[in-house]
Amino acid sequence: MTQGVKTRAINRLQSMYALRAYVDKIYQAGLEAKKEGRPVAWCMAEGWAGPILEAMDVETVYPENYGTVCAALGRTAPFLERADAEGFPTHLCGYARNGLGYAARMRDLGGEIPPEAPAGGMPKPTLLLASGMACDARFKWFQAMGRYLDAPLWTLESPSPGAREALMEGAYERDVNFLVKELRNFVTFLERLLGKKMDWDRLEETREGTKEMNAVWYEVNELRKARPGPMHSRDFWSSMSASMYRGARDYEAITGLYRNMYDEVNYRVDNKIAGINREEKYRVTFIGLPPWHSLGFFDQLAERGWNFVTEAAYHPLKPFDADLSMVSEPIERYVRSRYRGLAQSIYDDYEPEEASTIIEEIKREGSAHRLLYKSVRDFQIDGAFLHPLLTCRAATFALPFVQTLLMEAWKVPSLVIAGDTVDISLFDPADALKKAEAFEGIMDHYKGVRKEEGLEW
Amino acid sequence: MVEEASHGLSRVRQIYQDRPHRVRELRAEGKKVMGYLCIYPVLEMITALDLVPYRIFGDMREPITKADAYLPTVVCPFLRSCLDLGLKGKYDFLDGVVMAHICDVGAGLAGIWNMTVKMPYSHFIDTPHTIHETAQEQQRGLLKDFQKTLESFTGKELSPGRLREAIEAHNQQRALVRELYDLRKPGPPLISGTETLQVMVALMSLPVEEGSELLREVINEVKERRDGPPRKPARLLLWGSIIDDVAFIEMIESLDANVVMDDTCVGSRAYFPDVKLTNDPLDGLAYHYLVELRCPRTFKEGIPGEARKDYMADLENRFSYLGDYAKDWKVNGVILQAVRYCDSHGYEVPGVEDYLASIGLPSIYLERDYSEGALARLRTRVQAFLEMIG
Repeated sequence: MTQGVKTRAINRLQSMYALRAYVDKIYQAGLEAKKEGRPVAWCMAEGWAGPILEAMDVETVYPENYGTVCAALGRTAPFLERADAEGFPTHLCGYARNGLGYAARMRDLGGEIPPEAPAGGMPKPTLLLASGMACDARFKWFQAMGRYLDAPLWTLESPSPGAREALMEGAYERDVNFLVKELRNFVTFLERLLGKKMDWDRLEETREGTKEMNAVWYEVNELRKARPGPMHSRDFWSSMSASMYRGARDYEAITGLYRNMYDEVNYRVDNKIAGINREEKYRVTFIGLPPWHSLGFFDQLAERGWNFVTEAAYHPLKPFDADLSMVSEPIERYVRSRYRGLAQSIYDDYEPEEASTIIEEIKREGSAHRLLYKSVRDFQIDGAFLHPLLTCRAATFALPFVQTLLMEAWKVPSLVIAGDTVDISLFDPADALKKAEAFEGIMDHYKGVRKEEGLEW
Repeated sequence: MVEEASHGLSRVRQIYQDRPHRVRELRAEGKKVMGYLCIYPVLEMITALDLVPYRIFGDMREPITKADAYLPTVVCPFLRSCLDLGLKGKYDFLDGVVMAHICDVGAGLAGIWNMTVKMPYSHFIDTPHTIHETAQEQQRGLLKDFQKTLESFTGKELSPGRLREAIEAHNQQRALVRELYDLRKPGPPLISGTETLQVMVALMSLPVEEGSELLREVINEVKERRDGPPRKPARLLLWGSIIDDVAFIEMIESLDANVVMDDTCVGSRAYFPDVKLTNDPLDGLAYHYLVELRCPRTFKEGIPGEARKDYMADLENRFSYLGDYAKDWKVNGVILQAVRYCDSHGYEVPGVEDYLASIGLPSIYLERDYSEGALARLRTRVQAFLEMIG
């Protein structure tokens, strides 16, 4: 290193860049498919449809990801303003408003991609796939898009039972049956719409392939528990889109890239190389959805020794092996290989005695505190960066509660910095930095408190 | 001390001012009271096991303090208020709560309530989002689980016979509510929007039989009254998210408007369609509480996955009942309102506006802060709207 030249604060993984490139591929592939006359689906990320659409040779484009792309490139303003002008309240999901504004512009142009659209834009869809999973925006947004797009819309349901209810006898099997029937109906709809039959062999191959891909990605993230944290959240966010949005199509290549990343991260673990080029003073977790428009802010925190070693959203689920020996129907095989009931999850994630205690607590109280943010203990977190979003209730509503729980359970303090995923005007980085500086004293104080209380870190 | 009024609208007003009074009396007599949030918990199942259903509301006059530790300010202030009241012990007369997957925050509130307010019984119904046949099956299965936990809590069996009786009782109340709403059709309406809301709040504070008895008194009184609302030039329909306090409607009715109809959940949404009596009564309940309740939280489409999208046909499928309401109640303007941060209604607004425009009905959209202080600003906008529709 040349004397006097300061290295960037975040120590980016080299293996990240090839994965990051898959974001561009989403949009390139969408445009190519349209040119070739192949069907294009605008989808919400929901975990089920990708392999099914891939098996039907439908290219997938994700308007919610497009919101992050527009935000990262500073190009959301025209679409957000258009959504406002169309009468959509400004508190609605930023991804949705960006997408609605985009769709409105597309309608103005007779279905053509707006010239101001970054990354090549999203082509007019053949179908829209909404989701009942995770938040209301996932189907209300796509329903509202009917105002601008004449593409047929399908909404895929997904169960989200309460904790106690999920443990009731028969609940898991009922949810599996629900998912199986939903997906079968979805396949029937696709066959009718596209005039072709589902390729079941291809679905089975993709199922296996994506399972392996997610398993490798999961292991990469497990390595991040090391001290110092070898991989910063910025690298996670840059690397996650590959599997999330292109996994069904390109799982072989992406699995290879995650293996490369595993090797690089493992090297760092063995050689105690951190994800930041500064002393790791604070191990921090990010809770919420990132401010895609201002990711450079994390470099400023890294300068101060903040290493974001993990984050709460977008993580791959822990892999598990379902016994499919008695299951021959492809959709049921697909569902059972991916949908693990709450009881099974708890037994997989905790030692047997603790797992039993947690399950009894859920049955008695309705929920179990320690289920929330186990990662805080596993990653030995000094502070939580909570990012309440003015336009996302699903990612925000529990944050005050989380703040209280983290302090009660683990003596881990939280810094609350409000913002938005796509609207830069709602985030004040200068103010956030001042608060972060003041927060360091609090994190230092609670390191002492945890020591006194005999906690592991 | 609350003086007992004997009947009709004066009793309604009394209950409205002191909602828990009657259920506290019933509790002292040994009855159990089951709180519920929103219109998706199945009341008939609660009534059938001799529990008293009691709807959880907020209080827009009570500053939110304790709930700040658990819910941020950027979520529905109504739900924040509900939690705040729970944390302050204002719902200490409840023996349990039933919540459903009504919206993102509503679903999350169920878990937070369990951990913070703590009641002897709670149940969460993960109501599906669509009306697909698979979703209807799922809904039925979820109600079966609800039945199990209720039976375990009460030590009683929820037999089909008891359930049928409860359905009939609640349907009777629905019919009476529709009869009351018919009294808003004349010009001027025989009962104001303000009074109607007070009646609805009272009904949601009483056991079904007592509520129906009160409703019969109100209907008879209103039919005979000579002191009804004055005739005003604007006849308005009120659409949108929860209104559990009369202040907003009072503000509108203080201007040149009668609020003659509503499509809200402390209003027609809970009462207009009856539950069909099916061989297995759970089937009718499952269908009603998923398919027939009209709230934007449910994704409705004419034909699931229709291959050709027709926006106006979609709007017609989703909102034509508003056109019917407008025609039957001779509405000449619509106020679309939503509590701030209500996403379900927020996404719906442009579509509803488009539909109303297609049938020539003027509308205005107002966002409310769930506080009295915010009403003055809204008053100006309503006034301007009324002048426009003149």
